[in-house]
Amino acid sequence: MDKMANKVARIPNLVDWSTGEVRLMSAKCNSCGTYFFPKEHYQHRPGCTREGVEDVLLAKKGKLASYTVQYYPCPAPFKTEQKITPYGIGLVEFEDEKIQVTGIITNTDLKTLKLGMEMETTILEMYTNEEKQQVVTWAFQAV
Amino acid sequence: MRDVYIIGTGIHPWTGFSEKVFADFAAVAVDGALKDANIEWKKIQAIMAGIFIYGGNAGHLSGQYLESIFGETGIPVVNVYNACATGSASIRMAYNSIAAGETDTALAFGADVSPKGFLTAKSDNAVQDRDVIRWKMGGLPNPIYWALECRKRMAKYGTTEEDLALVKVLMSEYGSKNPHARFKKTYSLEEVLKSAYVCDPLRLYEICPVSTGAAAVIVTADKDLISKADKAVKINATTMGSAIYGDPTIRISALSCPAVAEAPMLSESYSASQQAYKKSGIGPEDIDVLELPDNSSWHYLVYLETCGFCKEGEADKMLRDGMTKIGGKLPVNPSGGFSSHGEALSAQALWQVIECANQLRGRCGERQVQGAKVAMAQTYGLMGNSGTTIMTI
Ligand SMILES: [Zn+2]
Repeated sequence: MDKMANKVARIPNLVDWSTGEVRLMSAKCNSCGTYFFPKEHYQHRPGCTREGVEDVLLAKKGKLASYTVQYYPCPAPFKTEQKITPYGIGLVEFEDEKIQVTGIITNTDLKTLKLGMEMETTILEMYTNEEKQQVVTWAFQAV
Repeated sequence: MRDVYIIGTGIHPWTGFSEKVFADFAAVAVDGALKDANIEWKKIQAIMAGIFIYGGNAGHLSGQYLESIFGETGIPVVNVYNACATGSASIRMAYNSIAAGETDTALAFGADVSPKGFLTAKSDNAVQDRDVIRWKMGGLPNPIYWALECRKRMAKYGTTEEDLALVKVLMSEYGSKNPHARFKKTYSLEEVLKSAYVCDPLRLYEICPVSTGAAAVIVTADKDLISKADKAVKINATTMGSAIYGDPTIRISALSCPAVAEAPMLSESYSASQQAYKKSGIGPEDIDVLELPDNSSWHYLVYLETCGFCKEGEADKMLRDGMTKIGGKLPVNPSGGFSSHGEALSAQALWQVIECANQLRGRCGERQVQGAKVAMAQTYGLMGNSGTTIMTI
């Protein structure tokens, strides 16, 4: 995926594009079945043996479970060279994994947002670092 | 276990950013509490201090700092931090210490000086500090979490923008009558509905800012002090709760939540309030006045349900029918709530307890709930933590 070359996530271990698709990096507990995001933010079911936690990627697509439009710039340490405000934030539900994940909404007309609509995981370019790499975060866009 | 009473309370009125040190605010509140209890400083046998953390490590121990202002006496001083439920933790420790007979009289206090702008990440370390990712990658200031839940609620239960605005109208009316409140202007429904969206559906006047303030409560089982006090207030229960697995709420600082609910919304507050009901033998139907954490208009509604004052989805009707007004079946936030005060993290839970005590002692003037005998203060902590205090007179 050439267009993903020279891009780096601002914080590692959250978003992956090595498979050719942009996907969120989760972990699944094979004892209690819970998925975690970020993958180290464990929330086991009480009584779980916590054995067999494995790294997994969430599905690429999910459904919009909630959203808001933020009308003020996000304060530091948020950082972007793009004019994104007002920006959308989505809570996207991954049905099989039984988890909802927040993310900035990109490449989508905010007026068209509707609960239940299909969204896919993508990336949002935030700024260029000193190594001339595009620093990115995960984001969601309408399918 | 011995019965424990509140005999003195003090507040430094809520205000904006200040260059004054937090302990000076605390001293004003503690002086007020000592005077109200009609006791000398040396009667205090333990201090449970809500710790004030500004910009990283505290750089001090709040309780010891305060003690040195009044004079060090060698008593146990414990500092506690439970985010926005810090004050709940301090009064609970004071209560337990006295009920168990370890001490007779103790002071619980919290003081907080707000930052100039927003509350944001305190460190740069995304591994150790769970608050970093949401700021650097998520673009997620606190009100966004509330807006995401509020939109779900509107779709599920039909909560309207007018309902959200009506909360502010009520809170501003009561806040205008409270000398401790920071915001004293009253707003009409039209004015609230015309205020700008911060993150829709929540508008500027429907979320609370951060504030500076201090609150102190003196509790005792000493019979002499109780009889000397101007109407001592009995603490029937003061509890803390944590969240329950499967709570569907998207919690501040989190980036995900369960898609399938296996526990109530805001389960930490469900846990704290259920414990308080059980310990006190007092139920939601017995409460004459309630202080709940209206960080946003959404909180006002959902807390009525989480704490069992109505069924899920029925809070809007309670509001619309006037049941939550002073003079209604369940007066809610006669203080003007967080909407009129703003959050002063380590102090706010104690300020809620003080408003309840003042209501029970008949000290609230124009905002007095007539004949109030049973009061409940409910806190909303951060990261799955909460506290409830039930009081009677
Ligand atoms: Zn598990």
